[in-house]
Amino acid sequence: MPLRHLGRRLFIGLSVVVGLCCATRALCAALVGETRQVAIAPQGARGVDALKALYRRPPTIPFPKENPYTPEKAELGKKLYFDPRLSISAAQSCASCHSPSYGWGDGLAVGVGYGMQQLGRHSPTIVNAAWSDIFMWDGRLPTLEDQALGPIQSPGEMNMPLEQLLQRLNTIPEYKPLFSRAFPEDGMTAKTVARAIATYERTVVSARAPFDAWIDGDEKAISEDAKRGFAVFNGKAGCASCHEGWNFTNEGFQDIGLPSDDVGRGKFAPGVVKMEHAFKTPSLREIARRSPYMHDGSLATLEQVVDHYDRGGVDRPSRSDLMKPLGLTAQEKSDLVAFLNSLTSNLTPTAAPVLPR
Amino acid sequence: MMRTSTLIALAILSGLSTGALAATEVIHQQGRTFSSEAIKVKKGEAVTFLNDDSVPHNIMSTSKGNEFNLGSQSPGNSTDVVFKETGEVAVICAIHPRMKMTINVVD
Repeated sequence: MPLRHLGRRLFIGLSVVVGLCCATRALCAALVGETRQVAIAPQGARGVDALKALYRRPPTIPFPKENPYTPEKAELGKKLYFDPRLSISAAQSCASCHSPSYGWGDGLAVGVGYGMQQLGRHSPTIVNAAWSDIFMWDGRLPTLEDQALGPIQSPGEMNMPLEQLLQRLNTIPEYKPLFSRAFPEDGMTAKTVARAIATYERTVVSARAPFDAWIDGDEKAISEDAKRGFAVFNGKAGCASCHEGWNFTNEGFQDIGLPSDDVGRGKFAPGVVKMEHAFKTPSLREIARRSPYMHDGSLATLEQVVDHYDRGGVDRPSRSDLMKPLGLTAQEKSDLVAFLNSLTSNLTPTAAPVLPR
Repeated sequence: MMRTSTLIALAILSGLSTGALAATEVIHQQGRTFSSEAIKVKKGEAVTFLNDDSVPHNIMSTSKGNEFNLGSQSPGNSTDVVFKETGEVAVICAIHPRMKMTINVVD
């Protein structure tokens, strides 16, 4: 065989292999070897005390060093958060969709934005946002400061260009001294608006729930049903694989098989199969006050949510490998719901602030 | 003819794989955490990504010239990756954004 023919065949063959590689791995500029099965030490079932230790509340709120807490910032941030004049219509505030009356959500299936138009996704709670590392259902924003300015500017939501926002805030005389006190060097800018709102949001922490009292040793704080539910949550149902730790989320992204066309995280991770239809795992704190559930608000009750996980959702390539039919008994399902209800506190009412004029 | 050339190419690639993929660094993933935040490897040396956690991970990088995507890997799976370009490679788990590490590939 002439050498040039062999070379051409090799080229064709390599192209096929590289093509296959790219088709299966999407990206393949580094050289990826064969995957091997390796024996790993089985992680034995933890006793209830060891499990409970994983759920202790943290003693303090983490504030980033780039935007440390001051009472002046939090006070200003609260006023901005509740001020509808941050929207172009002057009719919608951050609190319209993230309201303390509904566990810091809005109680609707999907949010309602500018011109009373329905949005595509359920308004997420802001409870415990201080512990988040990535924001929005699809994780498109990296900090709470970025998040604060997102819905303000979004044409479908508050629809307020930042330049116009600053013009409007400048016409409200009582805001000026508040900004001067909170930000002596910078005063009123889009960045300081974001830093103030984010600081206030970080102070919104789920109050102690009956579950926390149980974790701290009060055996009577939750029912026997809820205790059994805790065992199912960490065991047979595998909920804690994603809803882990005291805030009941590891901030991960999973396609849990809801029959929705929304690609979610997939928009920001092209070619990564498991990110299609994947959404950020939400906290379960204050869950009983936050119905309806899921990123699309499609499930009305916690019973329906448990049923969804028990069935395993739509089987498609992107579906999380953790999603599969669970075979829960009726007792296990009701125990799980009892446990979930124990994560809800007697929310302390939040006083609406007097707004600057 | 096509089949023959594909086989030749596969043989060459698998030769490369077994020859070049002598792993020197193993990155564990227990508890949704990479066992190292930053490592340094020589160009052409392999890094082994071992899922010894209790949940699947999707380890990948979009760093130019060293892109890879292992897809969803269940616990008990291990894959070697050889980096061909020098520079910083930002490695993440697509599923768990708290998992981040840097591999500094040097000559």
